[in-house]
Amino acid sequence: MTNLEKYTNVFVETLQVNAEQCEKLKYQGVELWDSVGHMTLVAAIEDVFDIMLDTDDIIDFSSFEKGKEILKKYDIEF
Amino acid sequence: MQLNYNQILEYQADRYPYLFFDKILQVGEGKAIGVKNLTQNEWFFPVHFPGDPCMPGFLQAEALTQVCALNILTMAGNKGKQVLLLSCEKLRLFQKVRPGDVMMLETDLVSYRHGIAKGRGRATVDGKLVCSCEMTFTLSDSEERRALTPKI
Repeated sequence: MTNLEKYTNVFVETLQVNAEQCEKLKYQGVELWDSVGHMTLVAAIEDVFDIMLDTDDIIDFSSFEKGKEILKKYDIEF
Repeated sequence: MQLNYNQILEYQADRYPYLFFDKILQVGEGKAIGVKNLTQNEWFFPVHFPGDPCMPGFLQAEALTQVCALNILTMAGNKGKQVLLLSCEKLRLFQKVRPGDVMMLETDLVSYRHGIAKGRGRATVDGKLVCSCEMTFTLSDSEERRALTPKI
């Protein structure tokens, strides 16, 4: 499974969306991506990629695309 | 730290008939151990099942979650807050829990980051494992979690 597939699966499972919806997803763009969903998403991403996100990165993680940019700082290539 | 029933009510928001432990033998350093004494008078026994009373499996998982949550609720500033269960995984049920049983609820806090807690628990009766699970939960009113959400 590629990193993009792993990353997309986290959104699909955590936010109950289709893979096709993910590219345009933004914080609060769907009902489940609220403050609780955000931290659940962060926890799942940390588990899947075995990383620990910095506080600033968690706050900046405002969309699916932004998240990909942030993860590159942790040597995760897409 | 040990907690009696009145102290339990101070620390957590669940109330009878949805409070599934009677006392806490130990809470602290990432470990919480509770005790649930099951009597014939439990509300679920007459309906689950008539003539064959046993504690619903998911209530056993709820009991483990409630005990595990005390690891967080006893931290400074969290007393009395509501706990939201986010996921319950690897739930295993091994044997029926009956009226008269004393259930030991042993839990470990695996991690607590960004306001999200992960724990695992195992329930035993007379030393025999009856239920185990892993759970993820948060506090409904978590300043830490709120501070970490994107600003839009």
